[in-house]
Amino acid sequence: MHTDDHTAPALTLRGVSKRYGPVVACDAVDLAVRPGEIHGLLGENGAGKSTLMKILLGLVHRDAGSILRDGEPVEIDTPQRAADLGLGMVHQHFSLIDPLTVWENVIMGDSGRVDKGAACAQVEQVAQRYGLPIDPMARVDRLSAGERQRVELIKCLRRDPSVLILDEPTSVLTQAESAELFTVLRRVVQAENRAVILISHKLAEIIAATDQVTVLRRGAVVFHGPTAQTTPQLLARQMVGREVSLRAESAALGMLPVERSGDRPAGDQPVDDRPAGDQEAGQPADGPAEPVTAGSPPVLRLRDVTVLLGELRILDALNLDVAPGEIVGLYGVEGNGQATLGDLLSGLVVPDSGTVEIGGEPVELDRAGALHTAGLGIVPEDRHRSGVVLDMTIAENLVMKSLAGVSGTGGVLSRRRIQQIARQRMTEFNIIAPSPDTPVRSLSGGNQQRVVLARELSAGPKVLIAAQPTHGLDVGAIEDMYVRLRQAAAEGVAVLLISTELEEVMALSDRVAVISSGRIVGVLDPAEATAERLGMLVGGVSH
Amino acid sequence: MATLTGPDPAGRRLLARLTPGPGGWQVTAATVVTVAVALGLSALLIAVTGGSPSASVQALYQGSMASPRAWSNSLLYVAPLLLVAVGACVSARSGFFNIGQEGQVLIGALAGAWVGLRLALPGPLLLVVVLLAALLAAGGWAGLSALMYRFRGVNVVVSTLLMTFLAQQLVAFAVNTPWLLQESRLGTGVVSPQSNPLPENARLASLGEYPNLQVNGGLILAVLIAVAISLAMTRTRWGFRLKMLGLNPVTAQHAGVRVGALGGMALAISGAFAGLAGALLLTSPIGSHRLQPGMSLNLGWDGLLVALVARNNPLLAIPVAVLFGVLRAGASFLAATGVPSFLVDVVKALLVLAFVAPPAVIALLRRRRAGGEPAGTPPPTGGLPTPTPSTGEPAAAGTEVPAIDVPEASGSDKTGSDKTGNGSTGSEKTTMEGRPA
Repeated sequence: MHTDDHTAPALTLRGVSKRYGPVVACDAVDLAVRPGEIHGLLGENGAGKSTLMKILLGLVHRDAGSILRDGEPVEIDTPQRAADLGLGMVHQHFSLIDPLTVWENVIMGDSGRVDKGAACAQVEQVAQRYGLPIDPMARVDRLSAGERQRVELIKCLRRDPSVLILDEPTSVLTQAESAELFTVLRRVVQAENRAVILISHKLAEIIAATDQVTVLRRGAVVFHGPTAQTTPQLLARQMVGREVSLRAESAALGMLPVERSGDRPAGDQPVDDRPAGDQEAGQPADGPAEPVTAGSPPVLRLRDVTVLLGELRILDALNLDVAPGEIVGLYGVEGNGQATLGDLLSGLVVPDSGTVEIGGEPVELDRAGALHTAGLGIVPEDRHRSGVVLDMTIAENLVMKSLAGVSGTGGVLSRRRIQQIARQRMTEFNIIAPSPDTPVRSLSGGNQQRVVLARELSAGPKVLIAAQPTHGLDVGAIEDMYVRLRQAAAEGVAVLLISTELEEVMALSDRVAVISSGRIVGVLDPAEATAERLGMLVGGVSH
Repeated sequence: MATLTGPDPAGRRLLARLTPGPGGWQVTAATVVTVAVALGLSALLIAVTGGSPSASVQALYQGSMASPRAWSNSLLYVAPLLLVAVGACVSARSGFFNIGQEGQVLIGALAGAWVGLRLALPGPLLLVVVLLAALLAAGGWAGLSALMYRFRGVNVVVSTLLMTFLAQQLVAFAVNTPWLLQESRLGTGVVSPQSNPLPENARLASLGEYPNLQVNGGLILAVLIAVAISLAMTRTRWGFRLKMLGLNPVTAQHAGVRVGALGGMALAISGAFAGLAGALLLTSPIGSHRLQPGMSLNLGWDGLLVALVARNNPLLAIPVAVLFGVLRAGASFLAATGVPSFLVDVVKALLVLAFVAPPAVIALLRRRRAGGEPAGTPPPTGGLPTPTPSTGEPAAAGTEVPAIDVPEASGSDKTGSDKTGNGSTGSEKTTMEGRPA
């Protein structure tokens, strides 16, 4: 790329590619990071950012391309080698050990004798040099997220890396903590001429903190340039920018919403490609959206739902309505509160404030099984964790939420009735297994998901939540899931689809709500959801 | 990481592995082999320590099964062993592992002795009250561990175990304190650290009489309870929920199970049965009908082993308890042949290993053959390029990627899932005090 710049790059990637089977994770990526600059790496989930960084850290081996360190070709085959080459990484999810103290965590992985005094002194010295105040004797589990981040940084900086990589560093930080982090990074870059790679999906952050920016999409570099010469709009379009292909692909897969019940306008006309300016004009972006369905009040209503983790707001006064018969797609980059929302709607998390109303009645979320009783069905994000019991049979998994219906006096279960229901559901939902007594563990992912869906839909729910419903499924199972969701909506169920897959959201939804940092930052009609608009919202820029 | 996916995730995994799955014949075949090996090793051990294996077997047989009288003696031990085991089955099934039965047995005996010696109730009513008191006291004792877990997050395995030592001290205190339960001074005799004997009407009657086969009422009671609990565990809503809780507490909570309440109840039930076992030690002719510090005779520990060998199946626990009772009764005869009687403990341990190892090993082998998690775990190929295949199982993930990164598409909102990781502990209180990652 900019090989003729004034300083030689500290790290250069040329045509680096990596495939996983048919999936191209990195497609001939070029990247040049110079000392003294913060280089932003922007992209959605699955854009290939993490794979790229794993290649740099020697955790994954590239299929093609070359890596140059200070102009010299290098092979990074082990994490140790990466460290020797001066590449250090601060991971998105803290890799600290809670019950240990700060200094113990910092020297973790060192060899030789443990010297507490020296370790503490070193922590203090690094802390002072970079303005990262921390008590080396403090236990990590007593620290706030911001302080943990500091420990991670100290752990990394003490090895004196010349290239520092930060993976989504602000995802668990408050606003103030983020600002503090960027001040430190600036200092690291300016005073010591190090290079920093900042991986993020937050546009504001990239604009505010970086000198250069590279945008990855589907594994390939789609944009590269000095940050000062770009705008959030431009970056947003580059990051998402695939509305044209998206519609075509959906149609090819037979996923396009062609006919629907109800009197809503069908959202199946192709998204036009108008210039950005026209799109911005007069769109309601914030606040609870009015349901599209004329006359029918929302059946699912989330009101100011807030979930706190220490100071961090995982869900921040979230408002969302879903009317009967509509599919609302909740789209956003992973880690913006979707998992917690899913847990909340599974009855696993009780909000710190706010209410969930179903059919106009607030649900007592701290009562076991209240959501199910109120008529909410959910296909959870991680079905192994909260959807099924793997070591129980298909039949048992199918009836576990409605035991009252299959037991007589004294709570004695009717085996005959359970078998009968199971056989019926297995036919109805096309669950392929030798018998109802087959343990769910031995089923394929698609069939496990069908078991969950069968259970939830046969309870006759008013509301159906589908959280990442097609994760890990094959094409057939995905299509089956789409048909079921659409059918449910046609029958008047209010469907909330929580997904990080844009195609899925666009293909199925009547309305698209975008979540960022635990808030709904905008609700759009699919017809008005351009790449730029979505990109801005997903990147946390709303107006 | 301080994730609390349940009271004891490791134990939970063990439980899942011990649950008989498809291919049970392999387990059976392997068990036959391992038991043969264990017996061979035992014989070798006896020979090496200077005894004669055949004489030892003879002695064991003489002491436990050779005559109706020997059988009567064996069966006396079966009842408390079985009761402890049935309770252990219940708590293990729920995933809230109780291992403090030894102490709960003592607490049951203590409560039974106090009631039996202090209340002057007519006829068999006293016996009923003694048994009930033991049941309630030990159930409450185990329930304390549930409360400690619920409110302070104290590990259930640790607290039930440590409460055992407390119980031992309590009993020792009671029988050494004149105003509590120490025996009355008769004339100028020496007072021993034990209680007065229970009155006649607080003792359990037996069917049949010496020298014929004698079956104490306690055994009948224990077998009835084992059958009832087995039915409850397999046929009722309660048993269904208990199983769900043990196998996946998060899904259980999602499906409307009150995790804390049900788990606490399972603990209390298991404690109550251990307490009943303690009352049997007091009321059946196994001892001297007195409360004594060492009266639990390690039956609490052995009962736990019975449940382990019976793979948490109360019905299977009946024959296993008989086997352990036979070994116990035979052991006292063994001493007469010159073989140290503690060798029986070694034999017992070998037998337990022989029964417990095969299912675990076979499950392990099967898992390895399947290459990590069987069919279930899907690689997260959500349509877009996905980095490292993640199965969520450390065993599979550890091969290439050290546990320092989470692939983008593996569906983890770290903070969120950690929060609910706590939620799954079953206490609504801790649910909201999620620990930061």
